[in-house]
Amino acid sequence: MIQTLILLVICLPWLGALLVWWAGDSRPRLQHGLAVVFSAAAGVAAIALIPNTVGKEAARLPLPAGGVFGWFSFTPDGLGVFLTAVAAVIGCLAVVFSVDYMRGEAQLGRYYAFVLLFIGSMTGLVLTSNMLLMFVFWEMTALCSYALISFYNDDPKAVAGGMKALIITQVGGVGLLLGAILGFAYLGSLNVDDFLQRAHLLPTTALTVAAFGFLIAAAAKSAQFPFQTWLPDAMEAPTPCSALIHAATMVNAGVYLLARFYPAFENVPYWRLSVMVVGMLSALLAALMALAATDLKRVLAYSTVSQLGYMVYAVGAGGIFASQFHLLSHSVFKALLFLAAGAVIHGLGTRDMLQMGGLGKKMPVARAVFVIGAAALAGLPILNGFWSKELVLEAGLEHGPAWIYAVMLFVAGLTALYTFRCVWMVFYGAPRSTAHAHDAGGFMRAALYPLAFGTLTTWLLAGPFSQMLHDSLPQHSIHTESTGEVALVILTAPATYLALAVVGLGLLAWWQRERLALLSEPLQDVIGLARNSFGFEAINRGIVSGVQSWAENLRDVQTGLLNWNIVGILAGLITVLVIVALGA
Amino acid sequence: MTTISIVPIAIIGLLGIGLYALLVVRNLIKVIVALQILVKGAMLAMVAAGSIAGKTEVGASMALTVIVADTIVAVVGLALAVQIRRHFGTLDVRAISTLRR
Repeated sequence: MIQTLILLVICLPWLGALLVWWAGDSRPRLQHGLAVVFSAAAGVAAIALIPNTVGKEAARLPLPAGGVFGWFSFTPDGLGVFLTAVAAVIGCLAVVFSVDYMRGEAQLGRYYAFVLLFIGSMTGLVLTSNMLLMFVFWEMTALCSYALISFYNDDPKAVAGGMKALIITQVGGVGLLLGAILGFAYLGSLNVDDFLQRAHLLPTTALTVAAFGFLIAAAAKSAQFPFQTWLPDAMEAPTPCSALIHAATMVNAGVYLLARFYPAFENVPYWRLSVMVVGMLSALLAALMALAATDLKRVLAYSTVSQLGYMVYAVGAGGIFASQFHLLSHSVFKALLFLAAGAVIHGLGTRDMLQMGGLGKKMPVARAVFVIGAAALAGLPILNGFWSKELVLEAGLEHGPAWIYAVMLFVAGLTALYTFRCVWMVFYGAPRSTAHAHDAGGFMRAALYPLAFGTLTTWLLAGPFSQMLHDSLPQHSIHTESTGEVALVILTAPATYLALAVVGLGLLAWWQRERLALLSEPLQDVIGLARNSFGFEAINRGIVSGVQSWAENLRDVQTGLLNWNIVGILAGLITVLVIVALGA
Repeated sequence: MTTISIVPIAIIGLLGIGLYALLVVRNLIKVIVALQILVKGAMLAMVAAGSIAGKTEVGASMALTVIVADTIVAVVGLALAVQIRRHFGTLDVRAISTLRR
């Protein structure tokens, strides 16, 4: 039963991808239908998997893979099953949304095939307990994100954004592979559970290298400092894909990796502090950049980096439950925000917030759901973002340094500020353009309403969710609390009111922005820096041009003359022979 | 001269002829012939190594594998040579090196 469900949840999207591709672009209605049916079936299978997490020993799905690599096993523990549900369900809603959004676009087959492949790869990534297979799925998600970001492949910006995402996440993939190989070299097993149980047997150096390799992998995948630059450029993708990348798949993989391997690395010197600092810098820098951006999707992209920073920070502080709970909340409200933004962009035909304003009257549905999502992002009670962000901050206050906590608190205020700046610029105030706008269509609403409902209610799952993680992750030492207890702890903690006060200050700052204009003079420098992404784009460009000029110089080696190549081969042979002779 | 000393000489001779020819010839057909000679030397070395190590079957089967691969290389190479002759009107490897422009 469980084995079948695991197979279904991974293979159904893949099968759907093949069928959509086979259906051909001359039958768009069939393609829409197939994509929705297969993603919905995967979503149902993922939800059916949730009650089956306990008793995971019996639930392994091993695939024989030869003697060397052990079994390609899949283990549905709480962490994996929860992320599977997020990927499949939110992925399904993104597909439903696409029916309206992508109507009339060319090459739907390519679009849906990669979306479905993406969903299947992500579920495989979080369910497998074999590190080699994990690496394969990891790279598959990178490939799919590249293909989807570059979907409009006649737009140079989209192609460049896709290449950037691919290259940066490859750097991270090397870190993951390094950790997996080190584990295999010293423990003789690629199984994740073996690694967690026996990580202390590794020599300190190897364990440290593996720990920081995994941190690099997670930072690259989750667009954390210093790899955050690829995510805003990924905004060239069609908007449902952005929702998919930001909420359902891709970026969650990094946080998942850190949470999964936390028990193995928690005692590595400086590892936890590094994780927290990476999270803090990402949260802070991205929030400042969101404050300066004028592209609607880029604001949301920076807010994703910032919120992922909160999750990474929570993992570093040891709050696995807090980080995963915030991941759940973030997935729901960020998918909502992106899809609502997609409805706005689709209705208006531009992403530039300077041309929006006063859209609320024309698009009441989009405004209503966007405001719900924005309030959750800002951390206003009683939406899901409030509860999970408070949990993250409390975990940080309890187990992390106070100065990082203070910065994260400041970022919470910044979050409220940039969120309401964005809402105001899009939906309120005087219209800044006379463009015609239409509200979200039927399929769009079918995706938006469940997400808005989820944003209001997923925090009620805190109790069962912590129970599930506690039962199936014995090595993570997660406390179980019922939803009521979680709520009580949050509502009675003084830190909550401090955080709320900071959020309120953020809102007040936007309200009183005219009076604060005097203060904003010195801030212009910071804003200017943020517009230039704090120099990270320049560093990227430097690396790219450096590699290119190096490669240009290397061209001289390629004479294109056969005889010279033979000389090279002979020289190599002689070198090898000399080394063998000297070594022997 | 015993067989055991003929074999190394044959190996070195075949490899040397093949490599020397690859270094100096410019006609594409001759390049393919040189490659064949070179690979035959390598094949002989495999069989000889197999018999020295007492695992004749391993050496022989590797040699067989190489025969298959080598034949494919020759066929594809000759087909390319035919096309290159038609396209460029010459078989001189210097004239057809268009990689650097």
